[in-house]
Amino acid sequence: MASESIALTVHRSPLQVVYEWMATVDHKKIGLMYIVYALLFLVIMGIEAILMRIQLAHSNSTFLSPQVFNRLFTMHGTTGVFFVAMPILFGFANYLVPLMIGARDMAFPRLNAFSFWMTAFGGLLLYASFFAGKGFSQGGIAPDVGWFAYAPLTAPAFSPGHSTDYWTLSLLIAGVGSIGGAVNFIATIISMRCRGMTLSRMPLMAWMSLVMSSLVLVTISPLTAAQLMLMVDRYMGGHFFDTTAGGSVVIWIHFFWIFGHPEVYVLIIPCFGFISEIVPVFSRKAMFGYPAMVAASVGIGFVSLGVWAHHMFTVGMPSYGNAFFVLTTMVVAVPTGIKIFNWLATMWGGKIVFATPMIFCIGFLFQFLIAGLTGIMLATAPFDWQLANSYFVVAHFHYVIVGGILFSIFAAFYYWYPKITGRMLSEMLGKWHFWIFLIGFHLTFDFMHVPGLLGMPRRIYTYEAGRGWETWNMISSIGVIFQAAGILIFVYNMIQSYFRGTIAGNDPWDAWTLEWSTTSPPPEYDFATLPVVRSRRPLWDLKHPDDPDWKYE
Amino acid sequence: MSSTRDCDPTAPAGRRFTLPSPTLWPGVLALGFALAAAGLLSSKLLSLGGLALGVIGCIGWFFQVLPKEKHRAVEGPAEPAVIAVSRRRVSRIEVEGVHRARLPLEIYPISAGIKGGLAGAVAMAAAAMLYGAVAHRSVWYPINLLGAVVYAQTQVSTRQISAFHIELLLVATVLHITTSILVGLLYGAILPMLPRRPILVGGLFAPLAWTGLLYSVLDIIDPLLNQKISWPWFLASQVAFGLVAGLVVVRQARVPTWQYPLALRAGVETPGVMRETGRENSPS
Repeated sequence: MASESIALTVHRSPLQVVYEWMATVDHKKIGLMYIVYALLFLVIMGIEAILMRIQLAHSNSTFLSPQVFNRLFTMHGTTGVFFVAMPILFGFANYLVPLMIGARDMAFPRLNAFSFWMTAFGGLLLYASFFAGKGFSQGGIAPDVGWFAYAPLTAPAFSPGHSTDYWTLSLLIAGVGSIGGAVNFIATIISMRCRGMTLSRMPLMAWMSLVMSSLVLVTISPLTAAQLMLMVDRYMGGHFFDTTAGGSVVIWIHFFWIFGHPEVYVLIIPCFGFISEIVPVFSRKAMFGYPAMVAASVGIGFVSLGVWAHHMFTVGMPSYGNAFFVLTTMVVAVPTGIKIFNWLATMWGGKIVFATPMIFCIGFLFQFLIAGLTGIMLATAPFDWQLANSYFVVAHFHYVIVGGILFSIFAAFYYWYPKITGRMLSEMLGKWHFWIFLIGFHLTFDFMHVPGLLGMPRRIYTYEAGRGWETWNMISSIGVIFQAAGILIFVYNMIQSYFRGTIAGNDPWDAWTLEWSTTSPPPEYDFATLPVVRSRRPLWDLKHPDDPDWKYE
Repeated sequence: MSSTRDCDPTAPAGRRFTLPSPTLWPGVLALGFALAAAGLLSSKLLSLGGLALGVIGCIGWFFQVLPKEKHRAVEGPAEPAVIAVSRRRVSRIEVEGVHRARLPLEIYPISAGIKGGLAGAVAMAAAAMLYGAVAHRSVWYPINLLGAVVYAQTQVSTRQISAFHIELLLVATVLHITTSILVGLLYGAILPMLPRRPILVGGLFAPLAWTGLLYSVLDIIDPLLNQKISWPWFLASQVAFGLVAGLVVVRQARVPTWQYPLALRAGVETPGVMRETGRENSPS
């Protein structure tokens, strides 16, 4: 086998390697390009966050000007949602879904490449706004209207030049990529599963990708429509959002949040997939309540389409509107609770292995629960009237995004890195990464709730002394140092392990889904022989032919 | 950097796999779109160049798939990867007649949770009304406070809170019974998983934790209600609920957990659900 590998290995020039990656239509390489691209933007948005936290660490700070601060929080939010979280999740799904369902590639490999490049160029166009001052006419500044770009702030009178247009056009382009990716995932999952893999045997990661893709299809469209309307307003004399000419700013808010709130579920649902794959393997038990998990995920996806106006309690909706969106938002807690209980029940009675992927999952469970609880608090309209646009809200959604999504992404990295590279990540560095990042996360975001409760509004570039906010902000800013240290350890671990990590073998975790049945890293064709599946844990059946799962499912 | 060599069709060794050809055209098309958009903000020439690139990308892409999709052959190994397990020993929780058990082995029936919730509701109401009678000489005081959580029209005096209001009684009754039943159901579900001192956890620890949580945030959520609440009595009524509900639940007979999936119990025949027949199932 070794001699065969050597015989098949050919050395290529750097130019050939670059061409190979740029021209690839292989789902694994495209997945990796998504991930690497997202990690680069993660570093950029992290630097933006650090700059903002330095500014807010103490009162009356002049480290950043108000204008720069506005640009930073706009770029931080936009980058985080559209050019970090979405691409990284699309990347993992690209890499894993075909392997998990026993396919050789995605349904539309060329569309897959196109989707990636659209996303990539969208991000580059957004950041071109920083440099546009010298090279392009009129522009020269980054967008500064917030990641939700509320009207009338985006009107030409308040946003001259092209900074807002960079935001609009880059998201339009990235949105085309997202829709292409979603179409591809749905087609792949529906039509390319291997023999025997019924929907009721499909890995939960594939199920979550299906739900996520369906949500992308539904939710990107209103955002695209709103952006086109905004372009019409700005350049063709339209009045969609112009209140002085019969337009309505509330329409923009509705359009944005019809996209924006399901978008949170677009991001968290694939993370549910990560957790649902990792927790059973490290609990050494089959997933508890698989059908309930699928039903709950589909339910969350469905209900999430009807909750958007809980972002608008302070806009001034009728009481029936408020009551409706309070109730629908509360309803999300039911399927979410089912999922959390099922993960706990999977762990309960199991022989838990506290490896790095698992401890990140446990961190996720704890933090996502708290994020959900503060979400329920904010879903209560009178409570929201008190705390809307305060740092309590910022703390809540960072608990979701960082405590939930980022922790599960870290878990996914530690779990699938051996499959992707053929080498293990260092467990010791992984645990250092976990604990330091955990401390940093809680220092920053636990204490961020308090200034929110004390009335500190979000998006202010500085604040006066004596309001009782200084200590909490200083603690939050100190936490960022720990988070940055954790990220550095993670990056070092990935680079160091790529060259010197322990050889992983095909199945280092003794796992049960199909990606672990092929080599690490997998060959271009994924499987030498397409697998045949008889249960939800096909590798268990192969490893334990005396006691296969299919007898009991 | 290594990669799998493109296959020579005449090569005898290994298997050949047909995969889509690599192509730059989707990337060229995407670049064309991006430049066309960037040109809108800078120069028409850039937009025109982007559109031209887009057209070239489209044409190139069409020729990738029309009239016949372009493929390349990749050589793979003669044998697939070996699947092995390092851990042959498997621990199982076995129960009589069942090879693999679903946990927990026994649960309380749903009726136990409902009974517990209703009994706890009575105990909690009694404690709260006792507080009203002692502290405000009116059993309606705590009832009106509870009703006012969701149905409060105006700010009222203590005297008015102590009076009888039929609408607040109805609202409070519905709220109290509904919440009590839901918490009773939660007790029924959770107590079997707490084999050690379930009454201590359900009757004391949980009410204490809930009261502590509410005490810490109620001033923010509803400062007016916070002013009217006597926290020692609040805690006492919560403990009354927890103790009674817990005692009623644990006195109910446990039932064994169903060890087969719902579809199997219902006798549903679907491709994803199989019965244990002793012979190997064929994939559907």
